[in-house]
Amino acid sequence: MVGLSLGEKNFIQGGIAQDLRSDGRKRLTYRPVSVETGVIPQANGSARVRMGATDVISSVKAELGKPSSLQPDKGKVSIYVDCSPTAAPMFEGRGGDELSTDLSVALQCCLLGGKSGAGAGIDLSSLIVVEGKMCWGLYIDCLVVSSDGNLLDALGAAIKAALSNTGIPRVLVAAGASGDEQPEVDISDEEFLQFDTSDVPVIVTLTKVGRHYIVDATSEEESQMSSAVSISVNRKGHICGLTKRGGAGLDPSIVLDMISVAKHVSEQLMNKLDSEIAAAEAVEDDS
Amino acid sequence: MAGRRGTNPTTYSPSLKTQKTRSTIFKDDWVRPDGRGFQQCRPAFFRTSAVTAASGSAYAEFGNTKVIVSVFGPRESKKAMMYSDIGRLNCNVSYTTFATPVRAQGSDRKDFSSMLHKALEGAVILETFPKTTVDVFALVLESGGSDLPVVISCASLALADAGILMYDLVTSVSLSCLGKNLVIDPILEEESYQDGSLMITCMPSRYEVTQLTITGEWSTPKINEGMQLCLDACSKLANIMRSCLKEATTTSQE
Amino acid sequence: MEYVNPEGLRLDGRRPMEMRQIRAEIGSVAKADGSALFEMGNTKVIAAVYGPREVQNRSQQISDKALVRCEYSMANFSTGDRMRKPKGDRRSTEISLVIRQTMEACIMTHLMPRSQIDIFVQVLQADGGTRSACINAATLALADAGIPLRDLVTSCSAGYLNSTPLLDLNYVEDSAGGPDVTVGFLPKLDKVTLLQMDSKLSIDLFENVMQLAIEGCKAVANYIREILLENTKQLEYRRGL
Repeated sequence: MVGLSLGEKNFIQGGIAQDLRSDGRKRLTYRPVSVETGVIPQANGSARVRMGATDVISSVKAELGKPSSLQPDKGKVSIYVDCSPTAAPMFEGRGGDELSTDLSVALQCCLLGGKSGAGAGIDLSSLIVVEGKMCWGLYIDCLVVSSDGNLLDALGAAIKAALSNTGIPRVLVAAGASGDEQPEVDISDEEFLQFDTSDVPVIVTLTKVGRHYIVDATSEEESQMSSAVSISVNRKGHICGLTKRGGAGLDPSIVLDMISVAKHVSEQLMNKLDSEIAAAEAVEDDS
Repeated sequence: MAGRRGTNPTTYSPSLKTQKTRSTIFKDDWVRPDGRGFQQCRPAFFRTSAVTAASGSAYAEFGNTKVIVSVFGPRESKKAMMYSDIGRLNCNVSYTTFATPVRAQGSDRKDFSSMLHKALEGAVILETFPKTTVDVFALVLESGGSDLPVVISCASLALADAGILMYDLVTSVSLSCLGKNLVIDPILEEESYQDGSLMITCMPSRYEVTQLTITGEWSTPKINEGMQLCLDACSKLANIMRSCLKEATTTSQE
Repeated sequence: MEYVNPEGLRLDGRRPMEMRQIRAEIGSVAKADGSALFEMGNTKVIAAVYGPREVQNRSQQISDKALVRCEYSMANFSTGDRMRKPKGDRRSTEISLVIRQTMEACIMTHLMPRSQIDIFVQVLQADGGTRSACINAATLALADAGIPLRDLVTSCSAGYLNSTPLLDLNYVEDSAGGPDVTVGFLPKLDKVTLLQMDSKLSIDLFENVMQLAIEGCKAVANYIREILLENTKQLEYRRGL
């Protein structure tokens, strides 16, 4: 909950109209992003991403399981978000559940592609161990530690960083298992497979305040929004998912304009994020 | 799978869709399972005042998808809620236990509920009923694909039936991307093989999009095409819904 | 199982009287009024304090002192195997209560009547001793929020395995089922505010183990004091004093 006086509201709206926001940024400038990888040693991969005062942790855990019968050649990925009460007192008890499900659904829509698995940021067929019988299930758990707006972009970035940090143990399948039996496997302790995360999209949320839209809104700015569109864009410039929040309707042409702006912004964000992730990995390797 | 069923003929298990049907989708001469054209919607049937106890309700049937939505209120908001000078919309989408091929799969859809809320909140004039709550309960009787769009359209009709002020009727249409083809208003089977989906919720008379969801990988021209298709279908759907409302008022006046 | 080998070393290579590496950081949640991160070996918790502020639920308001509330939650990825626990299970309710009572005892609640202080602790990694780590983090967060305290309450646990008293049990030692004494201690006042023990222990041994835990608390208190002093210096420096 953000309580703002009329003056403050006008100040924020006026600033956005003049392309000078209350923290000195332009409309399409992100706050400084910092990435830290390997924060949860128990997980297969993890990352903590901070954008200004927004702070999220994402962890990836891999478990062996059975692929679904509809898609025997694909692994499974699920994303869960949890809003910690440390981020805001209103998330206490069950208060954060609604936002948590909203964010989980939005992330699944933005990162996991269609039902057939096409267009997913993660190559699901690389998760298969024995077709139809055994596959890796990736459980991506995210935790919102501190929230100051733009959670979806931060969570998307954290998942991307955590996936590049993820090592999945190499599995040796014992030959000879046939029929309906579960094959015997030997999970290697030393050899790990790294993911190719260059296809994982980034999420850009454009928040519409007045007649303009801004990226990376703080919670004060979000309280003034009429609607927000989150667009996930991959390196090729293709749209991998889109969700809209906020009640006010948008003209279809505005939606298309937002998509082209998001594409443009995503290139910068993608490059910035890649260099941050590389730097974080280097720091981790040193220590 | 086949071997196991052979040994155990007494128990029936729903036939699992296998790889076979999937490959046909990519052939050029593929026709949709129900014989429709790619850009043809299922016939829509609407009826208002389906539930007498509710202040407003509507029933919608799109092929196999059957949905009933009832609207209660406006009623006083709970005491624990903070004061608000605009009304609240409380949405809930649930499935009957027999709605899906496998019994009781996802009886309560929290994600659908919040999507329904997001789709409607922009259209309802909440300022007209401060301090009060309107409940929208949607029940999917049978799930036959494109459930959420049907629920949303049906809910706006129920709200209109309840006399809740809205800027416009809300209509929603979804579209599946299968290989190179864009198929509008997909059925359950098509949805399970889709490479991507696009769902638009709009207010046709105002030509405004209240909700838009895209999954899967899309290029901009394709999004353009998909949106145009859906918006067209939405405005046609709105005509059907409007005529249904008019019909209901004329019959009640007689 | 052998928890202390003949050379007198524990499973993780510590001596019986040795604590795990502790590390603390103040101000890890920017939006909170006070916050801290506290690590004891692999156990890692974040605490955030909101308040003193207006009481949210009027019926809970206390006319002569502040209302202190606490919620303990564990992240899904905090334990070895991934679990999706419903919020508010018995264990977290119990720990929330323990932390609330311990913190309430050291906050000067009578100075802030008709107000509310919320303490939220979030476990990022659990490797034994989450209770102690949460109390230590909460103390730092309260101090960071500038809430008047009687003393810095600190906590540490000690156990007794293989006829040896052990300080600061990790997860493996904790799940051995032996006695586990958790102590909350006010170092300046020399008073114990929290004392919990599982399993059984003879009276004279108990005194030894408890004394060991108290020594642990004192060590934590020294560290916490250092961190707070360092933080204050930083603040002074930033203000240009």
